[in-house]
Amino acid sequence: MKVTREFVRDGETVAVQAEAIDGGRWRVRVGERVLEFVAVPMVDGGVRLTPAGEHADGHHAVGSRGFVAYGAAAGKEIGGREFQVRLRGRTHTLALPSGRRGGAAAGGDGIVRAPMTGTVLDVRCKVGDEVAADQTLAVVTAMKMEHKLVAGVAGVVREVQAQKGATVEQGDALVTVEAKAKA
Amino acid sequence: MAANPPFRRVLIANRGEIAVRVARGLRELGIESVAVHSDVDARCAHVLACDHAVALGGNSATESYLDIQKVLDAARRTGAEAIHPGYGFLSENSTFARAVRDAGLVFVGPNPEAMDRLGGKKAAREEAIAAGVPVIPGTEQDEGDDALIAVAKKIGMPVMVKASAGGGGRGMRRVEKEADLADAIAAGRREAKASFGDDRMILERAVFPARHIEIQMIGDRHGRVVSLHERECSVQRRHQKVLEEAPSAVVDEDLRRRMGEAAVRLAERVGYDNAGTCEFLLDEQGRFYFLEVNTRLQVEHPVTELVTGLDLVHLQVHVAAGGKLDDLLRGRDLTPRGHAIEARICAESPEQGYLPAAGLLRLVREASGPGIRVDSGVYTGWQVPTHYDSMLAKLVVWAPDRATACERLSQALRDTVYLGIPTNVDFLRRVVDDEAFRTCKLSTDMLSHRPDLAQGPQTLPDDEVLAAAVLCQALGGVRAGAAATGTAAAAGSPTAVWQRLPGFRLFEVTR
Repeated sequence: MKVTREFVRDGETVAVQAEAIDGGRWRVRVGERVLEFVAVPMVDGGVRLTPAGEHADGHHAVGSRGFVAYGAAAGKEIGGREFQVRLRGRTHTLALPSGRRGGAAAGGDGIVRAPMTGTVLDVRCKVGDEVAADQTLAVVTAMKMEHKLVAGVAGVVREVQAQKGATVEQGDALVTVEAKAKA
Repeated sequence: MAANPPFRRVLIANRGEIAVRVARGLRELGIESVAVHSDVDARCAHVLACDHAVALGGNSATESYLDIQKVLDAARRTGAEAIHPGYGFLSENSTFARAVRDAGLVFVGPNPEAMDRLGGKKAAREEAIAAGVPVIPGTEQDEGDDALIAVAKKIGMPVMVKASAGGGGRGMRRVEKEADLADAIAAGRREAKASFGDDRMILERAVFPARHIEIQMIGDRHGRVVSLHERECSVQRRHQKVLEEAPSAVVDEDLRRRMGEAAVRLAERVGYDNAGTCEFLLDEQGRFYFLEVNTRLQVEHPVTELVTGLDLVHLQVHVAAGGKLDDLLRGRDLTPRGHAIEARICAESPEQGYLPAAGLLRLVREASGPGIRVDSGVYTGWQVPTHYDSMLAKLVVWAPDRATACERLSQALRDTVYLGIPTNVDFLRRVVDDEAFRTCKLSTDMLSHRPDLAQGPQTLPDDEVLAAAVLCQALGGVRAGAAATGTAAAAGSPTAVWQRLPGFRLFEVTR
């Protein structure tokens, strides 16, 4: 069995290929590098991983230096936009190459996006307004908290997609600001 | 106790972890539980935990959990004799408490007259002054924005603006500059209106740096009120508690006695007759100031339970049914024993300004072990809705001393898995492992000075992480039948996890 996935790390797409060898052993190529593990699935959804060469030969109990990793897709859509993996007590959120960028409320691209699914409480700008880089353009509420969404760049409001009272999805564009040309 | 239950059936007017926790307490007393739920909560953990369930319809809190008539109808239809309100929602609403009483049912909480005298911050402050409990300079009157701003100018910046009806940090803001007052008051009013249906605000001087120390009280219907000692909840972010512990490392026996006596004096004055919490700020000179009374069971009640050995839900039910504290607590040594710490696990990203998240929890594994208690309201396959607050569960530990409790909590957080949406688990562990927490150098604003704790280490995932991610996709994930068939190979193709998880349910609803 072979499984290949791609992740984005530091802006670069890294191909990771895992290949089952035998006896639960897997050879994993991460870019140019090759790692070997004994991988044992756990009934709680985790996978016990023991780096090869560390008492993983069947004569010893599996892995005094092994660890259990847990993984799941994350994000709203089926399949998610990201993959979360938790190991050694830390959760890493890995970006997938096809994933749309979400989360960032006020990008440097001038598009102010909804940081989470919620309701637009207030829109504080209109088309043609000149706005400062940290000016509040809209207020979104979700989970009983208010969030002020500020312009990522100074410039002129070109489009106001947000409507007061409307429900918005995470990543939806709310306001588009055209950056002021540097004098 | 179960031999002679005080009620036959009790309705729980709440959702999530607290409703699950109350249902467990009721079951231990031999009482049947009735869940109520909104449409999106039809399969929420509390619905699965209760003996009966009634759909309220609607999704927003206003059209479901906050609808007094719907809740009362559900109680009538199921023959419930009493209603436990949990925390939040209708728990501090005296109109609701009165409506419950008028319907011939028992409200598992204080009488509405005591709630009115303590529930609003303004009323509580006046009662505290009358009871000789020290208060912070400020105003309890809301005579409009201009009057509030005038008071702020008189007592000096910085000030706190708070929802008069509030609790839990909703509608509460610290304001540094006079220029920001109008905005802060307006935003506070909107949040207060949405959370409590009451947009009145109060304003007072900000006491900083300070510790948040609160006294758990329990009263009965025979005029007796007992202090169950302090909890320290100084670790907060934006006035929301993050970590809570009992006892406090800075409260000695003398201070514990004085704070307990002040809280009990205030409670006795208003005829308080159920569980409640008197919150104080403790400044660096060891002076304490009254903040507010929460006229309900609190989120952080488990830490008191662990150090006193009491079950507060049991006590609430017994005193609501007319039981006497002198009988219920006879022979009990209430001296705090050992140390307990609670961590609130929330669906939010501390790394992104504590942005709340909602969505599908694809993999949940909660910690267990000696001295570990998890009060949870979620499970693998649960879709966390956007309509309510972001708390998923509470991880609570007990150990003989604080240092061991810190280490136990750190390890339990390490073993905790909630995947599919962002959570604050790693943030909580960073705080628990930080020297400031370990050495008990706490104040309510400590997190605002430590953005590094929210931000976390800025490192790229190493090759081992990427390899583990792919092996998890190939072999991991909770799947129906995996345990029965036993092996990974039986779990099928590596992409099966994508196809299987949506819609998967670990439990079926049984009624």
